[in-house]
This record gives sequence, structure tokens and C-alpha cells, in this order.
Amino acid sequence: MITIALSKGRIFEETTPLLAAAGITALEDPEASRKLILSTNRPDVRLIIVRATDVPTYVQYGAADLGIAGKDVLDEHGGEGLYQPLDLKIARCRMMVAVREDFDYFGSIRRGARLKVVTKYVKTAREHFAAKGMHVDLIKLYGSMELGPLVGLADAIVDLVSTGGTLRANNLKAVEEVTDISSRLVVNQASLKLKRESLQPIMDAFAQVVAANN
Amino acid sequence: MLNWLLPEYIEDVLPAEAARVELLRRRLLDLFKVHGYQYVIPPMLEYMESLTTGIGHDLDIVTFKVVDQLTGKLMGIRADITPQAARIDAHMLNNQGVSRLCYAGSVLRTTPDGLARSREPLHVGAEIYGHPGVESDIEIHRLMVKALQQVGLSTLYIDISHVGIFASLLSDAGITEALEQELYAALQSKDQSAVRSLGKDLDKVTLDALCSLTELNGDVSVLDEAAKRLPATENIQQALNDLKAVHAGLSDLDVKVCFDLAELRGYHYHSGIVFAAYAQGYAGPLARGGRYDEVGAIFGRARPATGFSLDLRGVVSSLPAIETSKAVFAPADHDDGLAQAIEGLRAEGEIVIQELPGHEVHRQELGCDRRLVKQDGAWIVVVAPELSNQ
Repeated sequence: MITIALSKGRIFEETTPLLAAAGITALEDPEASRKLILSTNRPDVRLIIVRATDVPTYVQYGAADLGIAGKDVLDEHGGEGLYQPLDLKIARCRMMVAVREDFDYFGSIRRGARLKVVTKYVKTAREHFAAKGMHVDLIKLYGSMELGPLVGLADAIVDLVSTGGTLRANNLKAVEEVTDISSRLVVNQASLKLKRESLQPIMDAFAQVVAANN
Repeated sequence: MLNWLLPEYIEDVLPAEAARVELLRRRLLDLFKVHGYQYVIPPMLEYMESLTTGIGHDLDIVTFKVVDQLTGKLMGIRADITPQAARIDAHMLNNQGVSRLCYAGSVLRTTPDGLARSREPLHVGAEIYGHPGVESDIEIHRLMVKALQQVGLSTLYIDISHVGIFASLLSDAGITEALEQELYAALQSKDQSAVRSLGKDLDKVTLDALCSLTELNGDVSVLDEAAKRLPATENIQQALNDLKAVHAGLSDLDVKVCFDLAELRGYHYHSGIVFAAYAQGYAGPLARGGRYDEVGAIFGRARPATGFSLDLRGVVSSLPAIETSKAVFAPADHDDGLAQAIEGLRAEGEIVIQELPGHEVHRQELGCDRRLVKQDGAWIVVVAPELSNQ
């Protein structure tokens, strides 16, 4: 049995064609069904629907053989026990530092200000500012980061930006790119050794689609 | 506070599992013994300098530390026994030829480690010092396979790599240490896109070779593929030949051998062939090891070395329960014949539990399935289903 861990929404939608190329179709739509384990047309393959941030954990512990997770999530997780053999180039966006329209980010850095930053991505943000030699205080939030600078909780946010619509609607501007984000195929290390014959064709099919689309 | 709670990732091993752990520990040490490996018992703690030099290079952060009240020096509680065995070989034994050492003992880790996700793994391992050739690699591989088969694992996968390939690609290209670290991390996760972006300033031959490493995994045909795709330098060819020799050396054992040239576990101190064993039902490697020549230099004597170790508690966690024989119940009775019968049974290896007065109603807790009864003046063993609680 091969178990593939996916999250609902954009990642599931953009993974469907990849799975189809490997001859795998889900028998149910996760948006319509409340089931967490979805069977597929292949009796030896099942999908499990988990929170995006939990995908690396399921794969690390071998509860899933394969998973699809954003680079943002993988960087926070650390990637222990995982292979990340393939950049699927789906669900692409950028992780950015954003501040209020009227905030002078670079001026503050020059003055050596110690900024308050709200983010869901504490590890990534810490590494980013440390590499720049900036002192920051990180405040962990679980959502609606954009609110932080507006209500005086923080000077800046570190968050994913795809179109920039939410930032504009809240009078924020992106000032610095932290990293490019896209989804990766992750593989449990033991699974790749033990189930190579069944996993390799799926990985090859994904790789072909990625190569054809980019 | 509930004062009987244990710290996170620290646990008791209760009787059923402890019996299995101890049984397998003895079996493994007996196996090592008949192969000529001498048992050593290194100390639980020693000075940090000796624990984290050489092969202990990566262990600083996972080692619990205490200050020695006698000297003021920092001591560490061992997080791995291999550096201790290397120290013993380099400084205590002074053999000029080959030494074979084995050990079994608990180590402590500041963060949960290994299959059992425990901070107190039970490491059992064997090491050969003093022989640089592939023959000692093969001996260690075979011993590891036998050890795991002895433990009761039938379908084994041995995953083999050679850190010399990565090392020689880097040294031929003159890569800086900072980049080396990042390339190493990217290769460990087989992240080819990261390798490509990190190595964008390298020459094409080196970059293509590094990218190929992420794909060079599978059965023995990988080695021929590697010969085609990697630069034909002397070091790389030697490494591929050594891997072939190990493959041939394991052909008569009932194991699946595969190769994964991006696997560089312990790259900082390993110098040649590295390997790990996997089996169905385990989400990670069961045993791992490899060659670590020259690390003895830190202890004053450079010696070629190779070895393996496994976390017995992690291995036992997914094994089926071992059927152990149940005990014989003996009544609380001051009868000379009874005392003799009990000693007789115990001498044969039977478990005999003699009741202590006052616990007649708790007999089912003792785990007995037979009892001693007096018939016609003689004590004999009869089946006693009423003592079993199932």
C-alpha cells in the first residue's frame, strides 16, 4: 500500500493532474467529502488529507510514503527524515517581508532599529534576519498577519504573497523577498529504500509532467 | 506535580519488553563473541574533548553535559559509544595488528533519536580497527546482516554508499567549506533543485556529477550507471570498485543490497563505505555504520576503522512478541521434597515461583501455567489452567 499525504485546496487541485499522469485518480473530492482517507482507482494507492503544515510530519514518521508540501512548510519543519527529490513548481508564491505603506523599512535598518515582526514562519524569519545581521523580535501568529502592523502589534510581517491583493487592501507594501516558494514532493527515507519499485514510477511520472510544464 | 512522571522521551522498559531486549542483547553479544569481537565496557561519561573529537564531531549539541567537581572540566554523558571504542583501540590496547571490539550500553541524547524516538537508545555495535581494505568492510557488513537476522528480521535491505565520491568531487573542484555544508545538506534530502542553485558557479562537470548523485540510487546497476555519469577519476573508480566488491561479498546472504550514492551519513568523519539496514515495518534505518579511518589520529594513533551499531530498543519496538515459557507455581510449604523438586526444575532452566503466604487470591498475577503438587509422596508438575489470567 502506498499512502500519499496531501492538503486540501490549492495543493490538492494542482496535484490532481500530476496524480493523473501517474495513473492515480481520487474516487472522491476532498472538498465534498468529510473523509480523511480517500481511496483511488488503484487499490494499492490511497490519499490522506491532512493540514498543510502536518504533511512533512506524516511522511517523516512513515505514516505516509509520499507527500506534497510547500517549501515554506518544509523549511519550518526542517526536513529531518525526508527526501525532497522534486520541485513540482506548483502552488508558487513568494515569502516576503511587508510593512505599512508609511513605514521606512530600510531607513529603520540603517538606524539599527530593533523591529518587531509577526509571522507564522518563525524559523524561516529568524534565519532570514540573522543572515542580514538584523536584530528582530519575532511574534508567532497563526493567521491574519496583515493585522499586526495596522494595530501596532509589530513593525513588519513575514508572510506568503501570491498576488499582493491582501497587502494592498490593508495598506501594506512588500519590501523584501525572503525566498521563492513552490511545492515539493517529499518521500519517507525508508519507503524509498523498501518500496522503490512502486514509488519510482510515480516519481518519474511527476517529473515528466513538471518538465513538460516548465 | 505527579512525581512519578518521567521526562519526555525517557521511559522504563517493562518486563515483557525488557525480557526481549535482554534476550536479544545476549544473542548479539554471543554472536560477536564467536566472530572474535572482544567485549568492552566504556564509562558512561568522560571529558567532552574525547567524546566529541573525530567521530564524535557532530555530537556536541546532542550530548548532556555536567561539570566535573574534581577538575572543573566539562564532562559529557556519552551520546555514542563508537568514539569511546576508537579511543580504547588507539590508546588502551596498542595492538599493532587488527583489533575487533564490541559493546552494548545505553547512551543519552538531548533530543529524541532513532527509531524509538527515545533520548536513551541502547546501542549495540561492533568495530574493526587496523585494516584499511574492503575485506574488513565486507566482514562488518556480514556481521551486521547476521546480527539483524539473529534478532528475527527476515527481509533486510542494505543500503550502501561511499562518501569518498562526494569528497573527491569537492576537493577536485576546490569548493569552500561553507558551500560544502550546504551541498551536503541538499544531497541528504536529494534536493536536486537546491544542488543546482547552490552549485551554479561550479564547472559543469562537477555540477552535473553532484546532480547525478541525487538520482544514483537503486540496485547494483546503479554502479555501472555511476561509472558512466561521474568523472572517471582514480578515487571515484576505486570507490565504485569497492562497492562492487561489497556487493559480491554479500551475495550468499539472504538480503537485498541497494546503493544510494547521495547518502552521506556522518560525512564529517566517515571516509569510505557507509551503510544502513532497513526492513519492512520500520520508518527508518535499523542499523548503520561505515568506515572512519584516521579518526584515531586525534587520540594519537591513526588507525583504519569500520564498524556498525544499532539501537536495540528501536529494533525491538516493532518485533513480534517472543513466546516465553511460563512459570511453575509452587505452594508455600516447608517440605524437603518440595525444596528439592524446585531446585531440580530451576537447574533445568524452568522458572519456579514459590508463593509467599498471604497472597493466595493474587496467584493469577504470577504468570504461571503449571503447578507443583504432591501425589503419592512425590512432587510432580501438573498443568494448571486456573492460574492463568487469560
